[in-house]
Amino acid sequence: MAGPTPMGISRDGQEGGRKPSFFGGSEVGAAYVLLLPMLVLFGCAVVYPLVETVVLSFTDMRGMAAGKWVGLKNYGTLFADPNFRAALSTTIVWTLVVTALSVGIGWGLAIVCSLAPRATLVFRVMFFAAYGVAETVSGFIWLGIFRPDTSGLVNAVLAGIGLGDWTTAWLGNVSTALWCLMAAYAWTQVGLPLMTCFASIQTIPKTLFEAAYIDGARSASIMRYIVLPLSMPGLRVAIFINLLNALRAFDMIFVLTGGGPVRSTETIGYFMFRESMLQFKLGYGAAATVVLLVAVVVISIPAIIKRTAEAT
Amino acid sequence: MSVVLPTFVESAIPVLDAIIKVDIGSFLLMDREEASHRGRNLNMNMSGSQKRPARLSSALFVALATTSTALVTTLGGALAAPKGELVVVNWLGGSELATMQAFEKAFTEKYPEVTIKEIPITWSGDARGAIRTTLMGGEKVDILINTWPSFRQELVENGVLRPLDDVWTAKGWDDKLTKSWRDLGSVDGKVYGIPYNYGDRSGLWYRVDTLKTAGIETPPATWDELLATFPKLKANGVTPYIVPGKFWAHAEVFETLLIRTAGADASRKLGAHEIAWNSDIVKTTLKKWREMLDAGCCADVATMLGTDWDNASDIVLKDAKGGFFLLGMWINNRAEENYGLKPGVDYGLVQFPALGLGHDADSSVDAKEFNAVTSGQNPEAADAFLDFAISAEGSAIFAKAGLASPSKATDSSLYGPVIRASNDVVAKADVVFVLGDRLPAELGDEYRTQLQKFLQDPSDANIDRVTDALEAKAKELY
Repeated sequence: MAGPTPMGISRDGQEGGRKPSFFGGSEVGAAYVLLLPMLVLFGCAVVYPLVETVVLSFTDMRGMAAGKWVGLKNYGTLFADPNFRAALSTTIVWTLVVTALSVGIGWGLAIVCSLAPRATLVFRVMFFAAYGVAETVSGFIWLGIFRPDTSGLVNAVLAGIGLGDWTTAWLGNVSTALWCLMAAYAWTQVGLPLMTCFASIQTIPKTLFEAAYIDGARSASIMRYIVLPLSMPGLRVAIFINLLNALRAFDMIFVLTGGGPVRSTETIGYFMFRESMLQFKLGYGAAATVVLLVAVVVISIPAIIKRTAEAT
Repeated sequence: MSVVLPTFVESAIPVLDAIIKVDIGSFLLMDREEASHRGRNLNMNMSGSQKRPARLSSALFVALATTSTALVTTLGGALAAPKGELVVVNWLGGSELATMQAFEKAFTEKYPEVTIKEIPITWSGDARGAIRTTLMGGEKVDILINTWPSFRQELVENGVLRPLDDVWTAKGWDDKLTKSWRDLGSVDGKVYGIPYNYGDRSGLWYRVDTLKTAGIETPPATWDELLATFPKLKANGVTPYIVPGKFWAHAEVFETLLIRTAGADASRKLGAHEIAWNSDIVKTTLKKWREMLDAGCCADVATMLGTDWDNASDIVLKDAKGGFFLLGMWINNRAEENYGLKPGVDYGLVQFPALGLGHDADSSVDAKEFNAVTSGQNPEAADAFLDFAISAEGSAIFAKAGLASPSKATDSSLYGPVIRASNDVVAKADVVFVLGDRLPAELGDEYRTQLQKFLQDPSDANIDRVTDALEAKAKELY
């Protein structure tokens, strides 16, 4: 039983001689019909809340009281708010350091794993598993590691090796809390760069390495001129995803420090939560959300345009 | 719902039912003019002999009518017994959640025609955010558990809560709760909150063996005695006083010192911003706290800011590495259930030492209450639930779980020694609700952050900065 299918392909797999008729004779129409359920879901789950958030950011809604339209006032207040400015600079440091750390370590581990792929399978799985663990769960693991007393792993190790004077409340100390948080968060994010870079490195032909050795290239040169450029596709994906993840990070900060001590680990993501859910300034919190959204879009759009252009 | 009636009443029901249907029913069916007219005609047309049996029958009628009315009321009450679904927003966790569920189970056993649907709230940081989301999301809720007076105020202002004055009168709750509890649950003179448990928040928790090992036979009763314990405890490798400054629990120290320094009334006024945050009262309180810090009470500032209330509890009561900490009565349950300690034997609670400034009997308390929500579909069941909470039967469930009930109907023999001692103190004290829970959320958050800043630098100059910042925030909000 052969005949044209909706997409104009006959049931026996051959191109039909005429355009489909099931969706009104148009491929574009068919495409829209097929997309419709997804578009409806996307509209309800993403677009509508997004629009609502933007509208909310122009009101002074607090708690359960209905908000009044205040125009751009929230945005003006936001950029004059020293806490927001501090959160903004913390976010920049946090995003750059976490991305650099996680991608750098992931790339380094990918190279190590590439030297003996089979032998490192267990370690690769272990590193990637951390990526699969919920951030909140990871947060509680790190909470135990950084406990202020000597039952915390870090302090216990320091005390054990005779560095008892170095023990401190890592998450209660303004000068160490952010760095501890960044280390903990980077650990959870290493898995993805490891896998993407490992996959890229695996695609490098062995003949290139052989040729390089024969030409007398040293390890550093091989890294710089062969491994780095040829693992760039995996590296680019990892940087892009980890950058966005870092920008949106919340769970780990919430569990480990709650933005403290004294707001020293507060990123925009946490600032938004504090203003909306602890201080109940929903309009103001929404304005911070929109700023974060703009940052994510600004970072994402060029990458998406580039990838789309490459694909077409 | 089954109601047990005496046998004679049960046998009279069909008779009375018939009378009600025939006599009263036909009488009620007449309009007022017709009834009056018929009555006149009856009297006018009767002779004296005829009137006697008529009087008798009238007397019988009145007696039967009275009895039947009483029965109708009884039966009506039985018929109006709560039934259907009761929706409860429950954000409690741990042992408190278990207690609440035991209470709900007991309620449904008493009212088997009621089923309870819990809306469990998952939250972190502050449950109010999640409760708001639930209420604003259109959930039909009958009962809400609340512990923040400022939140109650907000809900009332937005028409979320149902006033309970009429129910209070109808159910005779004056017999169960004192006027001060009624006032504590009221907003603008109307009652909205029915408290079901409360706790002393001005007491220091300690472990008996920790103090004994350090040569401290009795817990400190005065400020000087408290300061004198610090070197003894430190000499034993114990941090004398644990300040859990990570999120909010460090504020308890400030609030108790404020009450001891300036009294419960000052705390009330500060909460209402009738006293400025940069007034001498607040500064003196912070300087008193500094005296403790200078006396070596506590760990370094990083440790204080890295310690949460549960860590403090573990350090003092489980690990015996801390001398004292100040927190609410839920610690009692934690000590018994989680650490397996015996109240009064292994651990104790002592009121924060006297400063001798005339406010040593004042105390800070917290309370949990039930609110009836206007969106609820089952107000009868909600009212019965509230009534059950302060009944002897209901309050016993909380008492057995180590939670003090404000109800006068509670059997006080159910309390353990720690709760009993704290109740005695609170009963004699001028009590005020926890300050942090009375403040607008925005100020409450700023208040805790500024107290962390104080802990970082307790100098006079920083006390000025901290109090000025709080006053500036308060001025924005009041």
